[in-house]
Amino acid sequence: MRKEGEPRTAKDAKKSDEVVETPAYSQENIQHNMRIIYYSRTFLSIVGGVVAGVLGLTGVTGFLCYFVIMMLASAGIAVKTKFDVFSFFDSWNRITIDGIAQGFMSFILFWTFAYDIVHIF
Amino acid sequence: MAGADMAVGILGALVLAHAAYITILYRGDLKIKEEEFVRPPIQVWIEVLISLVLCLWAALRVPGTFLPILPDSKENRVVALPANLDFMIFNHRGKLFAPELEAKFTKS
Repeated sequence: MRKEGEPRTAKDAKKSDEVVETPAYSQENIQHNMRIIYYSRTFLSIVGGVVAGVLGLTGVTGFLCYFVIMMLASAGIAVKTKFDVFSFFDSWNRITIDGIAQGFMSFILFWTFAYDIVHIF
Repeated sequence: MAGADMAVGILGALVLAHAAYITILYRGDLKIKEEEFVRPPIQVWIEVLISLVLCLWAALRVPGTFLPILPDSKENRVVALPANLDFMIFNHRGKLFAPELEAKFTKS
């Protein structure tokens, strides 16, 4: 036992001194929520691609269109969680950044399709 | 419920298809008049905006609602034990995650 006035040593450290904050999440529900975001973003990437093609956007404006649509999607998802993000996801990154890279390829594909159909053929 | 949102999505897609059709006709006109294509007419812009709003609505509603991930939340309460209790042990490390429950009994 430690006497008063003596410095704390490693022997005095108790497990209850540390506050280990590892929250236990329901993995199945996290995956369910991620799947919902993924479906939403994929559909919106396709719609965004067709929009960019129909409007005849080329180059940087087209990519800008994609990012605007993804930002709108992120805002929509944040509203869907009623801004109480941490009871559905483990970090803000899930809403703002995840899924954007995967949708990008679909966007380019449908953008090329739509542009060709509307403006070239 | 999901049917109405799906209908909104389909309507958005139809409006977008109509906008594409109008742009094709517009381009045909430009070819006849031998003018350069700069931007599609205002009607196309409006229709594209409408279809974007409708598709955004459908994309957020159709896949379903979010489920809470914290074990303490009301929807994640274990209200019934499964039938194969003989194979379950309750003497595990879960006791370290002691939740502060205001336990309410629900009729189910």
